[in-house]
Amino acid sequence: MKEGLSLVQKLSGHPDSRCWFVSWSPNGTLLASCGGDKTIRIWGREGESWVCKSVLEDGHQRTVRKVSWSPCGNYLASASFDATTSIWKKKDNQDFESLTVLEGHENEVKCVAWAPSGNLLATCSRDKSVWVWEVDEEDEYECVTVLNSHTQDVKHVVWHPTQELLASASYDNNICLYKEDDDDWECRATLQGHTSTVWGLSFDAAGQRLASCSDDRSVKIWKDYSSGSGAGGDLSWKCVCTLSGFHGRTVYDVAWCRLTGALATACGDDGVRVFKEDETSDPDQPVFSLSAQVTKAHNQDVNCVNWNPKEAGLLASCSDDGEIAIWRFQEED
Amino acid sequence: MASHFSGVLQLTDLDDFITPSQECVKPVKIEKKQGKSLAKIQIEDDGSYVQINQDGGKQKLEKAKITLNDCLACSGCITSAESVLITQQSHEELFKVLHNNKANEAEQKVVVVSVSPQSRASLAARYDLSSSEAGRRLTSFFKGLGVHYVFDTSFSRTFSLLESQREFVERFQRKEQDKNCLPMMTSACPGWICYAEKTHGEFILPYISTTRSPQQMMGSLVKGYFAEQKGIGPQQIYHVAVMPCFDKKLEASRSDFYLNSAETREVDCVITSGEVQKMLEEKNVSLSDVESAPLDVMFSSVSGGEFLSHAGSGSGGYLHHVFINAAKQLFGEEVKKLTYKTLRNKDFQEVTLEKDGKAVLCFASTYGFRNIQNLVQKLKRGKSPYDFVEVMACPSGCLNGGGQLKPLPGQNPKELLQKVDELYKSERSLSPEEDVRVAELYQSWLHSVGEERAKELLHTQYHTVEKMTNGLTMKW
Repeated sequence: MKEGLSLVQKLSGHPDSRCWFVSWSPNGTLLASCGGDKTIRIWGREGESWVCKSVLEDGHQRTVRKVSWSPCGNYLASASFDATTSIWKKKDNQDFESLTVLEGHENEVKCVAWAPSGNLLATCSRDKSVWVWEVDEEDEYECVTVLNSHTQDVKHVVWHPTQELLASASYDNNICLYKEDDDDWECRATLQGHTSTVWGLSFDAAGQRLASCSDDRSVKIWKDYSSGSGAGGDLSWKCVCTLSGFHGRTVYDVAWCRLTGALATACGDDGVRVFKEDETSDPDQPVFSLSAQVTKAHNQDVNCVNWNPKEAGLLASCSDDGEIAIWRFQEED
Repeated sequence: MASHFSGVLQLTDLDDFITPSQECVKPVKIEKKQGKSLAKIQIEDDGSYVQINQDGGKQKLEKAKITLNDCLACSGCITSAESVLITQQSHEELFKVLHNNKANEAEQKVVVVSVSPQSRASLAARYDLSSSEAGRRLTSFFKGLGVHYVFDTSFSRTFSLLESQREFVERFQRKEQDKNCLPMMTSACPGWICYAEKTHGEFILPYISTTRSPQQMMGSLVKGYFAEQKGIGPQQIYHVAVMPCFDKKLEASRSDFYLNSAETREVDCVITSGEVQKMLEEKNVSLSDVESAPLDVMFSSVSGGEFLSHAGSGSGGYLHHVFINAAKQLFGEEVKKLTYKTLRNKDFQEVTLEKDGKAVLCFASTYGFRNIQNLVQKLKRGKSPYDFVEVMACPSGCLNGGGQLKPLPGQNPKELLQKVDELYKSERSLSPEEDVRVAELYQSWLHSVGEERAKELLHTQYHTVEKMTNGLTMKW
């Protein structure tokens, strides 16, 4: 069978609005989406099709920009332009209740991400700062650090899959990597290379590489060259690959499949693309080739791509047209 | 340009895209003459704007100038405030005043420099001196430049500590009637005050101690008592404060500390420890080579040529002194030693007083933005157990202030801070109640001006900064 992306289903996710972000639950059974209609929707499978199980309303007063599942799958965090981050707790059924609201950012919260341990949460904002919050047993959240390493709007935060290493991407064209030292967090490396806003980041399964995507229409792959994992040492990540010439406009998101190693991108040219690494290529100079693409995946900008963590090849994307699409990526046998 | 303000201020309402003078949205009133409506505006070679009237006449257009007060009253950016500050309060301004003094003896100003103990410690660390020795040499350096008096803000801090102690006891006693009187939060940190006024306004301001900071206590002393003693007007004195903190410039510029009748500020200019270092460099002077000079004892905490300090934190020791006084006044307990319990991190500590197995006083110190944030959120959720909080915007407090000398290349910042801390704490401490001269001033000066005026001289107030609803600030 030839490799390619086939459409499984389109969902009218956030009608008459934008759908900003989609995220699979850790066990892959639920998909959370959020959008300009200030809501979060939870989608689940019924038979062969995906249906809306629940709508989380009244949590935010403005656009919900990103959502993040806790590693246990029982909590959902949402980042909103209303300057708050909400924490939702799953009830017995598919329903969620608002647990707490994290305040502190001066203005629009752009992204939220749960650390793999489940004890830490990172947020970032147009106020240029990145915050790390700690959760205690009583579901109380306290701010652990406020990081001001970026000089502009911070678009995205993502945690390393196994370590307590945080990465952020910004309008200042840079990527910052943070680790805890002594009793505060510090920016340990600034990755420079993109020539415009960095919109998205994704670690590979092992956490040895980081993919970034940018308004400069490229995707870059950064590799960890840090010596040892000592606490004090500087981190050293170097760009080992740049994918350019594939995207017609801004690349808004990049997702690295932890099961197959396939790299998906969401682009402002309405397209969804999947890249595969040539396994025989030199690890210090990896070669990625375009494996599949749908040029008109959506009617408008594609904002997000996300691989299902349990079902290999199942990809969700969403767009400014308010729709969510679920794709199946088929590899050549 | 990297901002010098504390992290807290940098986060407050900073705009992504505004640079000073470029996109300030503060409406400025321009005196405009009524008349012909048609005119051309032309930019001259020198960059000035000229209006060409219909009759061909030219008229140079005035630049709309944003003053620091415009900036501070605005909830927009603070980057403009920074550029305004640099021109209004810098070591160059001090040089200018000293130069004018020499050029025009008839209109001489009496130049007073009040040095903070944290600044002395920072300079002492750079030159391997004791803090007191750094103070004596600084006195010599400043006097050599033409400064008339060099004072020490530990002296005025004694007033701040005494007033804080009284204010706390008074607040504690009416806590049942007034829900907003506890926790009392310290007010000496201008970064914290600016953040509180701009971001939390009405909610947080009632908790903030009205007691003046040591800098502004010194302002009262110098432009009030000292001017009177010398028989001169406050405007004839140029008062400079040397501080570990850039945000102190904002504090000095507050309208609350402007003497309207004399048209002068109580503190005319604030320069940081780092700027003093710059002055030394510009004069090609190393503090190592400066002869020490006798200290001006009038407003200095000195005993036998050595400076005296206060116990407790390097940020003024507010928690320490208020705690000891409250334990005694309210519960009859003599506390000899405070036990600090470190909470989430070293910048969040707690001290409690137990009586009959029950915690009767719960104090905390919260330094740095992350801890301030947690404190404010605790308060908002009704989960703050505290009666008193020493709040400072900088991690590690004032000894680590943004205006302190930066580590030399290769110097470890943590080791430097440790050294500054040791130098600061090596000075013998004096209990505020035991300062005879301060007690005298309470008797002679403050008693004579009457209770209301004394309150004005020792306390201040805070103002909510309204969020601007101007359409121009709308973000899409």
